[in-house]
Amino acid sequence: MSQSTETAGVKRRDFLKVLGAATAATGTVGCFQEDIEKLVPYLNSPDQTVPGVSNYYSSTCRECSAGCGIVVEVRDGRAIKVEGNPEHPVNRGALCARGQASLQGLYNPDRYRTPMIREGGKLVPTTWDNAMQALNQQVAQARTNVKAREVAFVSRHEAGSFGAFADNWMEALGFGSHYQYDPEADLAVRAANQATYGAMSPALDFSAARLIVSFGADFLETWQANVPQQLAFADARAKLQNGPRFVYIGARRSLTGLNADEWIACKPGSEETIAAALASALGGGSTTTAQAAEASGVSVETLDALVTSVRDIRPSLVLSGVTTPNAAQIAATVAAINKAAGNVGVTIRLDGALTSFAGAVGADAMSRVATSLNAGGVPLIFVRGANPVYDTPKSMGFAEAFAKAGYRVSFSSYPDETSSLCDLVLPDSHPLESWGDAEPVAGVLGLQQPTMDVVFSTRATPDVMLAVAQANGATAKFPAKTYRDWLISRTSGGAAAFTAALPKAMAKGSALARTAASSRIASGTTPPAAIGGTGEYFLQVYPHAVLGAGAGANKPWLQELPDPVSKICWQSWVEIHPMTARKLGIERGDHVKVQTASGSITAPAYLYLGIRQDTVAVALGQGHTAYGRYAQDIGVNALDALGATWNGAGALALTQSMATVAKLNEYSELVTTEGSARQHGRELAQAVTTAQLAAGDYGERPHHELPGDASHEFLPGLRSPVAADAQGDLANPKAKDKGMYDPEHPSGMARRRWAMTIDLSRCTGCSACVTACYAENNVPTVGARWQGRSLRPFHSSDGSGWDTRPGANILKGREMAWIRIERYFEGGEDGTSAFDTRFLPMMCQHCGNAPCESVCPVYATYHAPDGLNVQVYNRCVGTRYCSNGCPYKVRYYNWHGYGETARRQYAFPDPLHLQLNPDVTVRGKGVMEKCSFCVQRIREAENLASLEKRDLAPNEFTTACAQACPSRAIVFGDAADPMWQVAQQVGDRRGYHVFEELNTYTAVVYLRKVNHTGGEGVPTAVPPPAATPATAGGPR
Amino acid sequence: MAVSAQPLRPNVASANVQLPGVEDYGQVDREISATLNPSKGWFAALGVAILLFLWGAGTWMYQIYWGLGNAGYNPPVMWGVYIITFVFWVGIGHAGTLISAILFLFRAGFRTTIYRCAEAMTVFAVMTAGLFPIIHIGRPWKFFWLIPYPNWRLIWPNFKSPLVWDVFAISTYLTISTTFLYVGLIPDIATLRDRCTNPVRKRFLAVLSLGWRNSEPEWRHFARMYLFLAAFSTPLVLSVHSVVSFDFAMAINPGWHTTIFPPYFVAGAIYSGIGMVFTIIIPIRKFFKLEHYVTINHLDAAAKLALFTSLVVGCAYLVEFWVAWYSGNAFEKDYFMNRVFGQWWWSAWIMLTCNMIFPLSLFSQRLRRNPTWLFILSILINIGMWYERFVIIVPTLAHEFEPWQWSGYLPSWVDTSILIGSFGWFFMWFLLFIRNLPVIAIAEVKEVVPPRLRSHARGTDIDSSGHHRDYGTETPGEFD
Repeated sequence: MSQSTETAGVKRRDFLKVLGAATAATGTVGCFQEDIEKLVPYLNSPDQTVPGVSNYYSSTCRECSAGCGIVVEVRDGRAIKVEGNPEHPVNRGALCARGQASLQGLYNPDRYRTPMIREGGKLVPTTWDNAMQALNQQVAQARTNVKAREVAFVSRHEAGSFGAFADNWMEALGFGSHYQYDPEADLAVRAANQATYGAMSPALDFSAARLIVSFGADFLETWQANVPQQLAFADARAKLQNGPRFVYIGARRSLTGLNADEWIACKPGSEETIAAALASALGGGSTTTAQAAEASGVSVETLDALVTSVRDIRPSLVLSGVTTPNAAQIAATVAAINKAAGNVGVTIRLDGALTSFAGAVGADAMSRVATSLNAGGVPLIFVRGANPVYDTPKSMGFAEAFAKAGYRVSFSSYPDETSSLCDLVLPDSHPLESWGDAEPVAGVLGLQQPTMDVVFSTRATPDVMLAVAQANGATAKFPAKTYRDWLISRTSGGAAAFTAALPKAMAKGSALARTAASSRIASGTTPPAAIGGTGEYFLQVYPHAVLGAGAGANKPWLQELPDPVSKICWQSWVEIHPMTARKLGIERGDHVKVQTASGSITAPAYLYLGIRQDTVAVALGQGHTAYGRYAQDIGVNALDALGATWNGAGALALTQSMATVAKLNEYSELVTTEGSARQHGRELAQAVTTAQLAAGDYGERPHHELPGDASHEFLPGLRSPVAADAQGDLANPKAKDKGMYDPEHPSGMARRRWAMTIDLSRCTGCSACVTACYAENNVPTVGARWQGRSLRPFHSSDGSGWDTRPGANILKGREMAWIRIERYFEGGEDGTSAFDTRFLPMMCQHCGNAPCESVCPVYATYHAPDGLNVQVYNRCVGTRYCSNGCPYKVRYYNWHGYGETARRQYAFPDPLHLQLNPDVTVRGKGVMEKCSFCVQRIREAENLASLEKRDLAPNEFTTACAQACPSRAIVFGDAADPMWQVAQQVGDRRGYHVFEELNTYTAVVYLRKVNHTGGEGVPTAVPPPAATPATAGGPR
Repeated sequence: MAVSAQPLRPNVASANVQLPGVEDYGQVDREISATLNPSKGWFAALGVAILLFLWGAGTWMYQIYWGLGNAGYNPPVMWGVYIITFVFWVGIGHAGTLISAILFLFRAGFRTTIYRCAEAMTVFAVMTAGLFPIIHIGRPWKFFWLIPYPNWRLIWPNFKSPLVWDVFAISTYLTISTTFLYVGLIPDIATLRDRCTNPVRKRFLAVLSLGWRNSEPEWRHFARMYLFLAAFSTPLVLSVHSVVSFDFAMAINPGWHTTIFPPYFVAGAIYSGIGMVFTIIIPIRKFFKLEHYVTINHLDAAAKLALFTSLVVGCAYLVEFWVAWYSGNAFEKDYFMNRVFGQWWWSAWIMLTCNMIFPLSLFSQRLRRNPTWLFILSILINIGMWYERFVIIVPTLAHEFEPWQWSGYLPSWVDTSILIGSFGWFFMWFLLFIRNLPVIAIAEVKEVVPPRLRSHARGTDIDSSGHHRDYGTETPGEFD
C-alpha cells in the first residue's frame, strides 16, 4: 500500500490516496460494463491492405465437386463475400446458394476450435503438439499392423490434386485405399457417359438443342454441375425463336421439372422402358410405346408424342439422372439415344467437358469400408470432409462398423456425426483458409488460395499429412514442407508461374495428370435390383436442392432458404399428391409415417401437385444428430427408410423401395414462406408462349388512361415516371425549383435512374440471389430454434416459455429475405400433371410513386433523386405503416434484437459476425428494412468514379442478386443511360410492371416468361397448360 | 324510489327528463357528494384496476426489452391489437364530447345527468388511446420524432403522413376535452370546497375552483365559456375520428381505401362511446343509488341514440359490400369475400351481430327501459366495436394484393396483457375521478330541480303551480 512503513498505522495522506484510488477504480468499473476496445492502426501496414478497402482473392469453390471459380472479397483481413469469378470457364461469374454460403462454413460457430482428443470417452480440446504426437504414434503403430493395408482414408470428393495426393500418401505409408466419397454424385450417368462419349461430364449446350428431354436429371439443382448448366439452360430458354422445348420425365417434378414445358409423370424405374421406346424409335430396339405406357402408367398418346418429338426434332438433348436401382441401364440407353440422334458434338460437347468429378465413389465403396471394418482388426481409419455415418443408410451399419476400427482420426472441421465418433480430431482449415487446386475443365487449372488467416486453431489437412509422412519416413516422396510447396513443385514454371496464376486463380495445365492417381478402386459392384418392398407407394428420396445430402445443414443461410419447390425451410416434409392425401384423409401438416422394409420416417405432409399419385417423396439433408446448433434435431433423415441398395455404378439408389403411408394423429405447421400458391387472376407472373410470340403477341395488355391518374413527369429512362410527390416540388410538376430532383442539379443525381429488369424466361427459381442478398446486406436469419418468440410471461433458464420450434419466426411470417422467389402454379387444379410454374423474384420495386413513402411520419423512407426508395434505419421509429402501404409486401421488420448480442434472438453468434458487410448497417430492433438495390455498391462505384474523375462506365457494377444469378435473369443498372444493358431491356415488349394499375411506377421491369410450345410447326400431343391464365377477371 | 314511479307509457314520457325524485339543492349536494366517500368496494375496484395496469405496464417493459416479436404480429399483418385498441379507445372518447357539446347545443335534456361521466370517460379514453401508438411503434423512445419540434437538423415530420395528422388530432382533442371537462367542473368544485372540512383539501379545491363565488357575472362568463367550448368541440367530434379513419382510407389497401371511412368511423365512434357510457353509468347509478338522477328516461333517450348510430354503422357495413361489388375491383371483392365468408368469417360475424343485429332490440321500449339489458348490450357493443376495428385492420393486411404474402394473425399473451392493462389504466383514472370529483354535474342538475326559495319568500310569492310570481319593480333588492 504505502512505502512509508516506518510508523505503524496508516498515514492520513496514504489513506486519502487509497481512498481516492479506490473510489476512482470503483467508479470506473461501475461506469464501463463493456471491455474497453482500442482502435490501433497498423504501424507497418501489410502489403496491399488499406483499412476499410477490400481486397479480392480468386480461388476455387469447394461446396460441391464442380469446382467453380470464385472471387472472395476480403476486408481488413476477413472474408466477407464470395462471388463467382467472371473469367472462370465453368461458372462465368455466377455462383449458387451453396457457394455463397461457404462463408458460413468458414465462420461457423460450431467449428472445432482446436484439435480434439478422446479422453475418458469424451472428445476434449488439446494442443496441436499433442494431437500430432498422437497421430504420428498411431500411424507408426498401424504401419506395423498386419492389417495395415486395410487402413482406409475416406474424404469428401473434391476436384483437383488432393485425391491423388492422398492416394499416394496412403501408398507411401503402406496403407490401404483412399475413397473420394460423394453422396450426391450421379455415378450412373458418369459411367455411361464415359463409356459412350469418352467423357464423364460433357458440356451440355442447351442453346443448340430444339428439344430437351430429362429423365429425372435435375440439372438445375444437384445433378452434376448446376451453375454452368443453369447458365446454358437460361440462355436457351431466353430464345424467343427456335428455343428448346423441355420435357421432364419422372415421378416427381423437381425444380428442374417445374421449369419444363411438359411433365410426363411416369412410375419410378419405368424410365427404362420409356427410354427403350425412344431408342427403338431411333432404330435401337423393339420396345413399343404401348409397352412403355403399360410399364410407366403414362398414356400411349403422350408417349407417342414424345417419341415423335425425339425422332423428328433435331438436335435434341436427352439427359438421365434417375436414382432408381436401374439407373445405370437408363443412363446407358439415354447415352445411346443421344448418339443415335446425332447429338454428340452438337448438344453434348466433348470440348469443355468437366473433369471435376473424376475419382468420386459412392455408397457401395462405403459399404466395402464397412465390411472391412466389420471384419475387425483394422488399426486406423481417416476421415476428411465426408460424413458417412450420416449420409449412408442406417441399414448399412456404417456407424457400428466404424466403431470397430482400432483408432479413428477425423480431419473434419465440424462436429458432425462421423467426427464425433472419432478418437482424434485434427480440424482442417476451411477451403477459404487453405491451398489447393482443381481441374474443372481439361487443361484448365483452378487454384485455391487462402483468403485470410485461420479463424480458429486449425491446420490444412494436406499440411498435416505432409508432416506425418515426414515423421514416418516418407520424406523422399513428400519432401515439401507445406501443401503449397507441394503444389508449386508440381506446377510447370515453378513458383513464378504459380504466383503469376494466383490473381485469377487459373492457369493452363492439369492437376491430375501430374500425380499418378492410384486406381485400385473398382467401380460397380452389386447388380441392381428392381424397386422392391411392399406398400402401395413408391418412395422417392432426393438430394435437397440447397442442403444437398446434408452438408449444407449447418449453415443458417441455407436452412433459411426456402426449398425452391416446396418453399419449406428448417423442416423435413413428405410430398404427397393432393388426391392421394384426400384418399388417405391427410391434410397439409399432418404427420405421415412412411414405412419401408428398411425403416420408417415421420414428417409433416406437404400436398404437392408435382408428384405422382402413387409416389411420395422426401428430401435428404435434415435429421442430423450432430453437426452443430443449426443442423441438429431438425427434421428427419430420409435415409432411415432406405436399404443398402446401389445402382450399377455404385451410387446409392435413392428411389429403391415401395412404402406404406399412414397418417398419424399429430400435426406440425409447415415452416413455409408461401402464402397462396395461386395468382388468383392477379397476373403478377405473366407468361407468353412461343406460338404467341411467333404471332407477334408479346402478351401486352391494353393500357387505359384513367381519370384521376397521379400527376407525374417522366424522368429520363424507363417508362415509369417519378411521381410529382417525389420531386421535391410539392406536387407541382411545373414548379421551377425541383431541388436535387432536378436533372440539372449540380449533384446530377436525378440524371440517373437505377432500375432492374428480371427476365422470367431465364429465372429458374434456384434462389441463389436470395443467399447472395443475405451475404451482402447482413440480413439476419431468424429461423433457428432459439430465435422464436415468447409464449408465456415467465421463462425458466432452460429456455422453456419460448417458441423453440425450428423456424418459429417463419411460422409467424417473419422471415427477413429482402428478395424472395415466389412460386405460383397455373392450372392443375384438377390434379393433372399439366400445370405451369411461374417463378417471380420479388424485392423492393423502388416505386416512382411509392405508397410507402407518403405514409411514413418521420421521412424514414423517402425517394432519392436517382430513383431509389431509401430506407433510413436511424430515422425509423417502427410504425410499420410503410409495410401496410406496400402492395408488394417487401418490407421486413426487426421484431427482435437480431443484431443485439445480449438477446437470445441474436443472429450472428461469434464468429458469424465476422462475415458482416462493413458497408451495411446491422439493423436494430424495431426498425423496418428492405431491399436497397445494394445502395452501398452504387455509392461505392460512384465514389470510385468520382475519385478517378470519370463517369460511371455502363454495367460497371451490379447488385449482389444480379451478380450471383446463375441464369442471368436479373439485370441492374441506370435506365436513364442508354448504354447500360438495363436501359436496353426496359423497353422490351415482354416487359411489364407488377400491379401496374396501382400507379406505383416501379423501377423493376419483369419480362414475361416464355413457354416453349415446341418447335414451331411440330405437333405436340399435350397442349402447354400455361397458354391461358387460370382464372379470368383482373383488376383492369 | 323514483324508478318505480316512472310511467312506462306513453312513449313520450322518455322525453321527460325532469327529476321528480330530487326535492331540493341540499339533496343534490348531499347525494352526489356521497359518491366521494370511499367504500370497500371502491378500494377493491381500484386495487384490481391498478394491478391490471401494472401487469400491462410490466408487459410493455418486457416488450420493449425483447422486441415487438413477442406480440402476435404475423407479417404482413404489421398492425394488430395495439392499433385496434387505439382506434377502440379513441372511438370511446367520442361519446363524451358528443354528449356534452353537441347535445348541449341541441338542448337535449337527457344529457344533464350523464354528461359528466361521459366527459371524464372521454378524457381518460383519449389518454389511454394516446398510449397505444407509442406502445405500437418499434422504438417507443423515439416517439417524439412524430411531433414537429424545432431542431438543429431541420428535420420535420412528414406532413403528408396520416400518422402525423393523428398526432395533431389526438393531442388537440385531448386538450379541448380536458379543458371542457374542467370548465364544466368549476362550479361543482366550488361546491365541494364549501362542503370540505379538511383544510389542505379545501385549499386545493379553492385553487382548482378558481375562486368561484357563485356571482352573477361568474355565471354569465361561465355560460358563455361553456357555450363557446361546446361550439369549439363540436367539429372536433367529427374531425378527430375522421382523421383516425384517414390512417386507413389514405392507404391504398383493399378494404381501407374508401371514402366512406370518415363518416363510418365517426358513427362507429359515437356508437361505441355510448356503449361505454352505458357500461359505466349503469353500475354507478346502481352502486351509488343515483337511480333518481340517471333515470330510466335518461337511459331510454340514450338508448335511442345508440340505436340510431347502430343503424348508421350497419348501413355503412352494407354500403362497403356494395361498393366492393360495384367497383369491379377484383382485390376489393376478394377481400370482402375473405372477410365475411373466408378466413375471417368469425370476426366479421362477431362485428355484424354485435353492432347490427343485437342493437335492433332497442326498437323495443321495454328493452330500452331495462337497465340490465342495456348493460349486457353495452358489453356486446364494446366487444363488437373492438372487433369492428379488428375486422378493418387484420383481414385487410392479411389478404392484400400479393397472394404470396397472405397470412393469418393471432394475438399473443403480450398483446392481450397490454390490452387488459389499458382497461386497468382507464378504470384506475375513472375510479380516482369518481372518488374526487362529482360524477354528476351538480350545478346542471340544480338547473333542473325546483329552485331553493329565498328565506324571505312568502307563500304569496308562489302561485298554485309552484312557480314564483313575476318579480315586480316594487320588490327592490331582489338581485342583491
